[in-house]
Amino acid sequence: MRKRMLAGIMGIVMMASLAGCGSSTGSSSGEGSTAAAGEETYTIGISQFAEHGSLDNCREGFIEGLKEAGIEEGKNLVIEEKNADADMGTAAQISQSFVTDDVDLICAIATPAAQSAYTAAMDADIPVIYTAVTNPIAAELATEDKKPVGEVTGTSDELPVEAQLKMIREILPDAKTIGILYTTSEANSVYTIEEYEEMAGDYGFTIEKAGINTSSDISLAAEDLLGKVDCLTNLTDNTVVASLATILDMANEKNIPVFGSEIEQVKIGCLAAEGIDYINLGKQTGAMAAKVLKGEAKASELDYESITENSLYVNQKVAENLNITVPDTMTERAVEIFDEISAE
Amino acid sequence: MDWILTIIEQGLIYGLLALGVYITYKILDFPDLTVDGSFPLGAAVAAILIKGGMNPYLTLPLSFLAGAIAGVFTGLIHVKLKVRDLLSGIIMMTALYTINMLIAGTNNLPIFANDNIFKNPWLEKLFGGEIPSWSKVLIILIIALLAKLLLDFFLKTQAGYLLRAVGDNDTLVTTLAKDKGNVKIIGLAIANGLVALSGCVFCQEQKVFEISSGTGALVLGLASVIIGTSLLKGFSFIRATTAVLIGSIIYKACVAVAISFFDPVYMKLITAVLFLVVLVFSMERKKKVKRNA
Amino acid sequence: MLELKHIDKYYNPGTVNEMCLFSDFNLTIRDNEFVAVVGSNGSGKTSMLNLICGSIDMDGGSIVIDGKDISKEKEFRRMKYMGRVYQNPAVGTCPTMTILENMALADNKGNLFGLKMGTNKKRIDFYKDSLRQLNLGLEDKMDVKVGTLSGGQRQAMALVMSTMTPLDFLILDEHTAALDPKTAELIMELTDKIVREKKLTTIMVTHNLRYAVEYGDRLVMMHQGQTVIDVAGEQKKAVDTDEILRKFNEISIECGN
Repeated sequence: MRKRMLAGIMGIVMMASLAGCGSSTGSSSGEGSTAAAGEETYTIGISQFAEHGSLDNCREGFIEGLKEAGIEEGKNLVIEEKNADADMGTAAQISQSFVTDDVDLICAIATPAAQSAYTAAMDADIPVIYTAVTNPIAAELATEDKKPVGEVTGTSDELPVEAQLKMIREILPDAKTIGILYTTSEANSVYTIEEYEEMAGDYGFTIEKAGINTSSDISLAAEDLLGKVDCLTNLTDNTVVASLATILDMANEKNIPVFGSEIEQVKIGCLAAEGIDYINLGKQTGAMAAKVLKGEAKASELDYESITENSLYVNQKVAENLNITVPDTMTERAVEIFDEISAE
Repeated sequence: MDWILTIIEQGLIYGLLALGVYITYKILDFPDLTVDGSFPLGAAVAAILIKGGMNPYLTLPLSFLAGAIAGVFTGLIHVKLKVRDLLSGIIMMTALYTINMLIAGTNNLPIFANDNIFKNPWLEKLFGGEIPSWSKVLIILIIALLAKLLLDFFLKTQAGYLLRAVGDNDTLVTTLAKDKGNVKIIGLAIANGLVALSGCVFCQEQKVFEISSGTGALVLGLASVIIGTSLLKGFSFIRATTAVLIGSIIYKACVAVAISFFDPVYMKLITAVLFLVVLVFSMERKKKVKRNA
Repeated sequence: MLELKHIDKYYNPGTVNEMCLFSDFNLTIRDNEFVAVVGSNGSGKTSMLNLICGSIDMDGGSIVIDGKDISKEKEFRRMKYMGRVYQNPAVGTCPTMTILENMALADNKGNLFGLKMGTNKKRIDFYKDSLRQLNLGLEDKMDVKVGTLSGGQRQAMALVMSTMTPLDFLILDEHTAALDPKTAELIMELTDKIVREKKLTTIMVTHNLRYAVEYGDRLVMMHQGQTVIDVAGEQKKAVDTDEILRKFNEISIECGN
């Protein structure tokens, strides 16, 4: 009896899956032919690797960017949004399903999603536009000179390291050592630290780094690091950012300023950040996608881009607590100034 | 049609993993968490060797070997150091995380530009230029069937009999004048070899090694084994291995449905519910067997 | 010849629960002897078997077979020349494997267990003949899984399996205790037949005093790690169940149970 019930459930699931297949292909096969208003309708697939604040902002910005270029959902755009929930196998299936649905373009958010989308789309000649890929060269999506390796291009969320160093120097003219906490398994962090180490000398800094494996190592590593440095700077390292509140508490006790890399980090108590605005990054990516969709350029002809403008964020309340005066020149060009510390 | 082909491809790749889990879970009765580390181990070995210019087909046996070594270590920890089965697996899985990083040198190693088992000059020659798209599913099918047939054969040998006996009744193995510990180690080696082979094929299909690709591998394998063996109640071991491969394909089909119909937030919950339903069902069966005993 | 020399065995050594089971225990078993061992609970019968097989370690003394000290040998190595049938019928067979596979497994004892086929087709007739002696009809169910058989059927198989290959010693560990009286009787007769036919040196631990008196050519009664009765040959033929029972009650009362 039970066996039959289970078989029944499985049967239903299988049927439903077949139906799903039919319906999703149905929605996209209408493309081209339904250009009723004389205008072409596009179908795109968005493959996001995981649920994450910054990645969500990328997606929003991307859709916004397309809209600014005249490609709007509901009018001439059909969007299939899928999230892999941080699983490589699922990411592969999502990419394949977009190829099967023969979408006009795949937007991939974060490195693993971009790689899997490119793998699937490679032979089907579907262009892939990625975003939030920190190092497209290491990910083999671009060659050394920023040229795409195929019909794949997009934007990098590489941190503006030089601008950050410059900003720290402006705020702390006497500081010598910058400390960085990072997770050893996050390739993006390792890569960004290399950038820091390369450029720190130009601004008279030395970098002191402390690697952790899991969030449980943070207290010990931070304690050790805080004894050796004049200030801390934060990357977009997922594990470290998740424990930022702890790190800030420890740093405040020792009166050591912490710089951030994103608006959110400044909101919750980092002194300042020369960071990237993921909505803007998404918009920039959307504009690239629009070019490809409209046929103005092929993806393979577009070099990958980094954020064109950094945004400076300052938290005056933190500055006050630390007895630091942020130069007026900086507060003037800051995109946003916070006067309080929000407890997340 | 392509949609179904994708499910079969993914199902068979993970089917190799499921065959490995079948050995540990069903035959050895050993909840082996090593697989969460040996899956990316196979991928790391494949990626680094291919990057180094090795023939992609050679990475298949070498990945198997790497996985087998990992399995031997889990076995040694369990048998010689007398650490509990679950803990031995956890220790090895944790160690493999670092080892995988060291092998690949990074947590994400793409191999887009290199040859792989699905695309290489030899295949191009074979097909006279263009490699047809169906060749991919064919290659995966050949590897999966080969692994299945070899495993079937092994389970019918004297060594295979011993392996089946050790999970069932290890005292019998001792009375047969064989060291039950060694038999367990061999079983773990074969199981993790298959899991690493699965990781190796997955890495070449995805053209990238990613450290996180092993997360949840055991759960996925268990689900496939339980779905397969419960749905297609195998009477002989030959059918059981086939059932496991089919179970993996069914599991992937369910994931595909979940992707197209549900918000990703629900994905894990759907997996858990599916898992529970099949598990409760299979426990019912086990009880019956015991009552007969 | 099997000799247990000056055996010491403690349980929970070094704790308040320390219990001395054997202190300078000695026993010699001659070749082709069929020894029946009886005794109250905790008298050390099963522990003695475990010591002989190497399932537990001893704290002093030595075990010598034909002049060779095997005290350091691992359990699975000793099993090369020993066969053992347990009280629990499930332990002697492999439930998820078929009767044929189980027989083949037992037949391969002493082999390498390599990549040769597990079942040698040429041996199937031999297996069937061995099973036919049991009169249980098992020879017609070669492809049935052993897990579906009754306890008695499994124990009969376990007995056949453990004596299939050449042995020096057969160890029977209360092997009829978990069976119903009728099946127990059957298994006991079968045991006697196999032991006589193969001329096996056998040590049988049992709770059934009647079996101990009826079968075997030597009777040992154990109590608190010592032998209290040890009779063989003509002497054994002279003892009757009542006499043994009286002695047994005596020592049991001493223990307070």
